[in-house]
Amino acid sequence: MKAILLIAINYVREQRWPIFVLLLWILLLAFLGLIANIPRDRDELLYLFKEVAIYVVVFSIFFGGSAIHNERKTRRILAVLSKAISRQQYLSGLVLGVTLSCSVFCLSLGITGSWTLGQAGFPISQVWFLMLCVIAACMLAGTVALMFSTFLNPFFGASATAIVLLGLPAVAGRVLSSGWESVLPVYSLAMIVLKSSFSDPGSVSWFPVGLAVVETIAFWVLAARIFAYVDIAVALE
Amino acid sequence: MAAILEFLGISKEYRSFPKGRRLAALDDFRVSVEQGEIFGFLGPNGAGKTTAMHLAMGFTRPTRGGGRMLGRPFGHAPTRRRVGFLSENVALYHRRAEFLVRFYGALNGMGGSHLAKRAAEILRLVGLQDDANRNAGKFSRGMLQRVGLAQALVNDPDLLILDEPTSALDPLARVMVRELLLSARETGKTIFLSSHLLSEVELLCDRVAVLHRGKLVRLGKTADLLQAAGQTEIVARGVAAGDFSGASVQDGIVRFCVAPTAVRETFERVWTLGGEIVSSNPAHRSLEQIFLEVTSAGDSPPPQGLA
Repeated sequence: MKAILLIAINYVREQRWPIFVLLLWILLLAFLGLIANIPRDRDELLYLFKEVAIYVVVFSIFFGGSAIHNERKTRRILAVLSKAISRQQYLSGLVLGVTLSCSVFCLSLGITGSWTLGQAGFPISQVWFLMLCVIAACMLAGTVALMFSTFLNPFFGASATAIVLLGLPAVAGRVLSSGWESVLPVYSLAMIVLKSSFSDPGSVSWFPVGLAVVETIAFWVLAARIFAYVDIAVALE
Repeated sequence: MAAILEFLGISKEYRSFPKGRRLAALDDFRVSVEQGEIFGFLGPNGAGKTTAMHLAMGFTRPTRGGGRMLGRPFGHAPTRRRVGFLSENVALYHRRAEFLVRFYGALNGMGGSHLAKRAAEILRLVGLQDDANRNAGKFSRGMLQRVGLAQALVNDPDLLILDEPTSALDPLARVMVRELLLSARETGKTIFLSSHLLSEVELLCDRVAVLHRGKLVRLGKTADLLQAAGQTEIVARGVAAGDFSGASVQDGIVRFCVAPTAVRETFERVWTLGGEIVSSNPAHRSLEQIFLEVTSAGDSPPPQGLA
């Protein structure tokens, strides 16, 4: 467990600049909260809040999709996996690292959202539930991207992830029935965030969050199975 | 002696994409490294040395065959707790050297004050005590190699697998590493190293294997390999080099090799010519000569002296 935590914290540290860029968006939201006429501009503030929340889901795909590739390309993975670390543990560390990176962002966004949207009358408990939905979506999206990146380059891995997690449920929901949207719940979790409004902040639904956690574990197991067969010493371009 | 590292007829092929052309990086490789020895691994670039090391560490999966490290199959993660590995091109995170050594030690399950003490000790051993708080990202290649060596040694491993451990080091640092490895052997550690610095391998290694195009072409004790089979080197003075076939002369000292059965006769001839015998010893070849001999051959000869 200690090794997994070390890999995760190290990953967050390595991603400090992308996280910093993401945090600038929150700074923008906080700045608007300071200068805006909150009762009048509350819909714009909520729109920006939702937009920034969705950005981090997209970033989680890039985080997950490039994690192994970067480590292999720089050959830093060799020193790490020369220790008593199994490949499953290594992937667990990366999944935790991606989730922590996104959680840092969501925590900051949750605090800023509670302050700005709370003043405008949006339920603060719902702000934090939306953040939980975003964290769950990031965790699943990052893990699926990580799974694809074990055998695809980051560009194809990220594309495949987007197709599987966002494209397929959206198409299945339209063609089959709306229930299919929740099979891979990144799409449905994103929709919970996007559909919330001052008139209808939405309700707390734990099913997609729980499903995202279960599917994260399933994709992690799959990723570990595939990664066990990968020649990590082969040079990447 | 117990075998610490065993390659049991292991082969590795790489396939090119999309043509599917096969490249044999290692072919039916069999070597057994015993406890407490320094084993040198030689071969030209692309011979398969690094591939063999990566197979042992579990970075790469074999196409055929397998092997055992410290009694466990290659790739067994908990076994690596007792192994130190240094890759050819050291790549580490951009952190303070001391943090890095502690980080890699912690990945191996170390912790607390023991780890902090060990990290400081190892950094002192590799000569980085004054740079322990500098960011490794700003280090020269030689310094980075020392940090790499420190992270490999931090867990006090029973087996060290070192891929070109001194390639980027200055002569002083090479001597330091050589002494470090010799003292590790004194304490019963096993060292498996590859190097292109043949003089160093000659000085350090108890046994040597030479790989060429993925095949083992020489294996044996370093001293045995260096001895030119059936030749005695005679050093004499006061004679002309032209009197002895294959003789070379430098500062009036004439050197030439003869068969052991001709030594007595040669001595008498030197004395008859008014010369003086300076020394007579079994003739030695350099590792470089052996290396060039086996790697310049068109077809790889069968392994000799398999132990």
